[in-house]
Amino acid sequence: MIKFGARSDTGRVRENNEDRYGATPEIGLFVLSDGMGGMASGEVASRLAVDAIIEHCRTAAANSSLPFLGDRREGLSEATNRLGSAIRVANRAIYHRAHEDSEHQGMGATAVAVRFAGDRVSIAHAGDSRAYLLRGGKLEQLTSDHSFVAESLRRGMMTAQEAAESKLQNVLLRALGIEPDVEVDLREEIASDGDVFLLCSDGLTRELSDAQITAILNDSGDPREAAGRLVEFANQAGGGDNITAIVIRNVAKPKGAFSVFSCLGRWFMILS
Amino acid sequence: MRKLVLKFEDAVLKELLVGQKEVSIGRSPDNAIAIDNPAISHYHARVFQENDRLMLEDFGSLNGTFVNGQRVKMVALKPGDSIAVGKHTILVMESNEVEGSPVWRADRPAAPKINETVMLDTKERREFLQQVAAVGESAQVAPARLKVATLVVRKGRTDQREYTLSDKLTVVGKSAMATVKLKGWFAPKAAAQITRRDDNCYYIGAADHVPSVNGQPIGQPRKLFSGDIIEVSGTELEFLYRD
Repeated sequence: MIKFGARSDTGRVRENNEDRYGATPEIGLFVLSDGMGGMASGEVASRLAVDAIIEHCRTAAANSSLPFLGDRREGLSEATNRLGSAIRVANRAIYHRAHEDSEHQGMGATAVAVRFAGDRVSIAHAGDSRAYLLRGGKLEQLTSDHSFVAESLRRGMMTAQEAAESKLQNVLLRALGIEPDVEVDLREEIASDGDVFLLCSDGLTRELSDAQITAILNDSGDPREAAGRLVEFANQAGGGDNITAIVIRNVAKPKGAFSVFSCLGRWFMILS
Repeated sequence: MRKLVLKFEDAVLKELLVGQKEVSIGRSPDNAIAIDNPAISHYHARVFQENDRLMLEDFGSLNGTFVNGQRVKMVALKPGDSIAVGKHTILVMESNEVEGSPVWRADRPAAPKINETVMLDTKERREFLQQVAAVGESAQVAPARLKVATLVVRKGRTDQREYTLSDKLTVVGKSAMATVKLKGWFAPKAAAQITRRDDNCYYIGAADHVPSVNGQPIGQPRKLFSGDIIEVSGTELEFLYRD
């Protein structure tokens, strides 16, 4: 069973919220996009991204013969490849809109999506919005940012400190809507009881450290509470950009006595 | 006040306010503007105030110091001047900041809109690796001598005796989120919070409790200075900038 909570906030500096998220738990799909582009274009791009990704996956769920856009990657499940296809479709949608409509020229968006299908979790992304997995109390970043700074760091051209202080944080190397085709990073995890997935925009990760995110996720059992607290703390830290967090918890099916014990265990921990 | 802005190509590497103290420029790390590049002499030049005038003096460097394209030995600077040393540029600018605000700041946005997310276009992306490689080789500026904000526990029960403030938000309290973890039954979840703002200074604000700084309860968030004593919920913390 999946439980989720999501929160999106303009932050304390920006006037518009160009982040957008979508949750379609009936097909186990969660999507987040951070738009860019002047005027209202960023909002248009992120909305197009989220809508197109959901629509493509929904249509495929009803009709498995829906063609895939882009190559299918071997060794990855149907659902994972479908997610990759959905992001490529979204890329085209934004690209065409930007070219049809001069007022939206140059707009683009990031996309990160997770899909729960059977015992697998598919993760797909392009841009600098991230997916994290909290498993056994430890946080792992599942995605690598497609940004100038992250790439420089990976190639050893910047130190961690230089990367943290660089003014080029906002320069992306990959995003949806810029070119007719986009390269999408895909990966899979085996789903495990108690896993907590976090999808977030850079407005969250620029304000809070991984250690702080870990503490908040470990401390709030309810995904809605966790998403709310992440956004709240990111605002307290400055709220320099739009902040969006989706927290998805893979909950064990209630197992009678077991859940009573885990409740008691929680109480003992609080009392001790 | 006037300030010096160190740039490599379009990237702003550092900004430095010029006060009474002279600003030395060179390859040695003990220079105020240290540029680790073979084209620059160990002690290359200096900028200093003389009777309200801002002066630049070249220390007889091998490759020279240029102001607006002219090689100079000693020259008066004015806002708008561009100093070239090796491949780096130092711009002279007016600044409305007052002396006393922290002198070193890392990578401030150059233009107001710079925080907008942008995408490198295809051509730029192709050139990206070469550029990064070039910067990586020749613009290894010695790390800014950034002072490290530190909290030292003077009284009270906490999980550590000393904390380095590395995050933008530091919570003091019992909460899981807290960096400065207060112990004891009655400690509040979030007693106070300290945030680093865009000016790279730290500000303390109230959370569940209203902290005092140097004995004064704070109303609005208050900027912290070295030596400030923070008191909150029976705990005393000294705020310090360490070298």
